[in-house]
Amino acid sequence: MISIFLKHELKAFWRAKNAGKSLAVQIILGVLIVIFLLYALLIGFFIDKVLLHFSPKVDLVVSFCGVILIYYLLDLLMRIQLQELPTLRVQPYLQLPVKRNALAQYLGLMALLSGFNIIPLLLFLPFIFKVIAVRSGGGIALAFLLSILGLTIFNNYLALYIKRKANVNGWLLLIATGVLALFVLGDFMWHIYSIRNISYLFFGHLISSPVLVLLPLLLAVGMYYFNFLYIKQNFYLEELSSKKNAYKGSTEYPILNRFGIVGDLVANEIKLILRNKRPSSALKMSFIFLVYGLIFYLNPAFKTTDGIVVFVGMFMSGVFIINYGQFMYSWQASHFDGLLVSKLNFADFIKAKYFLFTIMSTIAFVLLTPYVYFGWRVLLIHTVMFLWNIGINTTIILFFANRNSRRIDLTKGAAFNWQGVGASQWIVSLPILLTPLVIFIPFKLLNQPDIGLAVMAVIAIVCLFARGFFVKKLEADFYNRKFKIAEGFREK
Amino acid sequence: MIEIKDLKKVYAGVTVVNIPHLQINKGESVGLVGNNGAGKTTLFRMILDLIRPEQGEVLSNGENVAGHEAWKNYTASYLDEGFLIDYLTPEEYFYFIGGLHQQTQAHVNDFLATLNDFFNGEILKKGKYIRDLSKGNQSKVGIASCLLQKPELLMLDEPFANIDPSTQIRLKNMLKDTNKRSGVTTLISSHDLNHITDVCDRILLMEKGKIIKDIATSSSTLDELENYFAVSAAPSSIGIDEEENH
Repeated sequence: MISIFLKHELKAFWRAKNAGKSLAVQIILGVLIVIFLLYALLIGFFIDKVLLHFSPKVDLVVSFCGVILIYYLLDLLMRIQLQELPTLRVQPYLQLPVKRNALAQYLGLMALLSGFNIIPLLLFLPFIFKVIAVRSGGGIALAFLLSILGLTIFNNYLALYIKRKANVNGWLLLIATGVLALFVLGDFMWHIYSIRNISYLFFGHLISSPVLVLLPLLLAVGMYYFNFLYIKQNFYLEELSSKKNAYKGSTEYPILNRFGIVGDLVANEIKLILRNKRPSSALKMSFIFLVYGLIFYLNPAFKTTDGIVVFVGMFMSGVFIINYGQFMYSWQASHFDGLLVSKLNFADFIKAKYFLFTIMSTIAFVLLTPYVYFGWRVLLIHTVMFLWNIGINTTIILFFANRNSRRIDLTKGAAFNWQGVGASQWIVSLPILLTPLVIFIPFKLLNQPDIGLAVMAVIAIVCLFARGFFVKKLEADFYNRKFKIAEGFREK
Repeated sequence: MIEIKDLKKVYAGVTVVNIPHLQINKGESVGLVGNNGAGKTTLFRMILDLIRPEQGEVLSNGENVAGHEAWKNYTASYLDEGFLIDYLTPEEYFYFIGGLHQQTQAHVNDFLATLNDFFNGEILKKGKYIRDLSKGNQSKVGIASCLLQKPELLMLDEPFANIDPSTQIRLKNMLKDTNKRSGVTTLISSHDLNHITDVCDRILLMEKGKIIKDIATSSSTLDELENYFAVSAAPSSIGIDEEENH
């Protein structure tokens, strides 16, 4: 039975709607995953060097044993946030004469197919073979190997169990995360106990008495069985799926009410962002990007040279425009027909996009003011780039939005989700990256960076005041392409 | 109200809509029937300027719908869930649509109060986004938002599908009422021959993209239609509707 499920699963993978569509995207995704795994493997191979670097006085095996448990704690934290529940795929089988045991086992097995389960092996196995097998012999190495496997599987099912429970009660996820965070802080902040020592307590003794390997194995089997029983007893769609059934109230943004239809459209789009998984993670990314500058400005190799600040400043106040805007209007694909037939002037639609960009970029710009710590010049350049973002990058993004007709399913998560990614997203990055370069670099080379900045500011302000003109152009451009866009959005 | 001239749509070499001429007058209630794949939804989409016809044009109040927007002011339509903004609550959606027609929230609330029976307590203040509603309830939201717009032309694609019998009957009465009392031109498609002959004064029968019958509803219309569909149940005419089977 399970082999049939596996066959179906493979078919589902190969026949997925966005699978065959763009091979280039698939290849790039594959390459990225391989690079990521290679990194993990590389760290695994040199973990002895890393450990020596951080604690040169401690014996290698001791510090290795200390690290393992810390890794699994962080792993659990990450899993709770990121790992997906492999659930709804059983829906078509629930009403068929298929044994529940088979389905539950299948779900359990599928849950093992996660990148989270490969990484610890890549990280720890090389050390086990390189050092422990040499020092303590094959038997002990095997005990370590099995312990690592056991803990990985234990973590896997524990995280899934917590996530399943969290579907019933959303607070549980927060509580679990909090407890884990407190546990980690208890060591690193308050020094009440040492996770390192607890970890060594187990793995250190594993060397002397390998029988202890039974403990992680038992944990793994126990957690699997526990999970299996839970799934079996709760084979109801609403409990398996990741939908939450909380009361969803209506929201209003009184400030936006003053702006008429354009304000309404912006309010709708803010709701779109906050109420759907993928756009909301695009928003979160924009906030994370606010610290991007620290990486460069604190780095003695870059510091706050003008060229660096121009780019970093552009990305920091414009990351929402770029990150969210590159998928416009795909975000609204699912109701695009409705927008087209409604009494909605498309010029208003475009104005709302400009307005939304301006709001988000302004918020980012305000939050960026502490960067003045690095000097007034940084603030000055940030201001110029902020004007550049709302003056020019908005228009560039919207110009390409008219050329994008890929549907996006809002309910799917953002991690490794390449739906809606097409040529337009790659091409749009060119003008955004190149235009400031083309304008600024000549002045910089002539040793007149101030004039360069002034020119950029003037161009940005002129474009800002010419928005009405751009709105008209974009509207006319849209009417030429609307059938193609709407047709693309209808293709599920 | 609507005049169609020489309209043609071809998908992959197959003509899915081919209407040399069709006139729908103001105040008429027109029902569109036909098996899956007859071209009903495609015709609706062309009237709403959502897809580009290969040739011909659709005139609404004498103005081509393609390239013009005046028709949006008096046309309300609901074809499928793709017309709804599904991450909004029904209230938010109604306020948005009302706002497009310069209606205040109080105005919208007053109107929604008149639909209490139709909603049957399933729509408002339920704490759900539209995407969490059942298909039938989504369809109610779509139909209600059409009526909210106080249109002169109302277009509904299979409004009786997915909704419960009581609501179907209420909907029939509402549609008759909007047509008879407010003089709204209605264009409705349906697979339910009973309902459609009850609601509409004129029935258009489509087959493979062509309008093969154009009849004023009378007591014999239902029999006539039932006869047609019974005969054409032969395998040759069963097609797969691209629009409805996605």
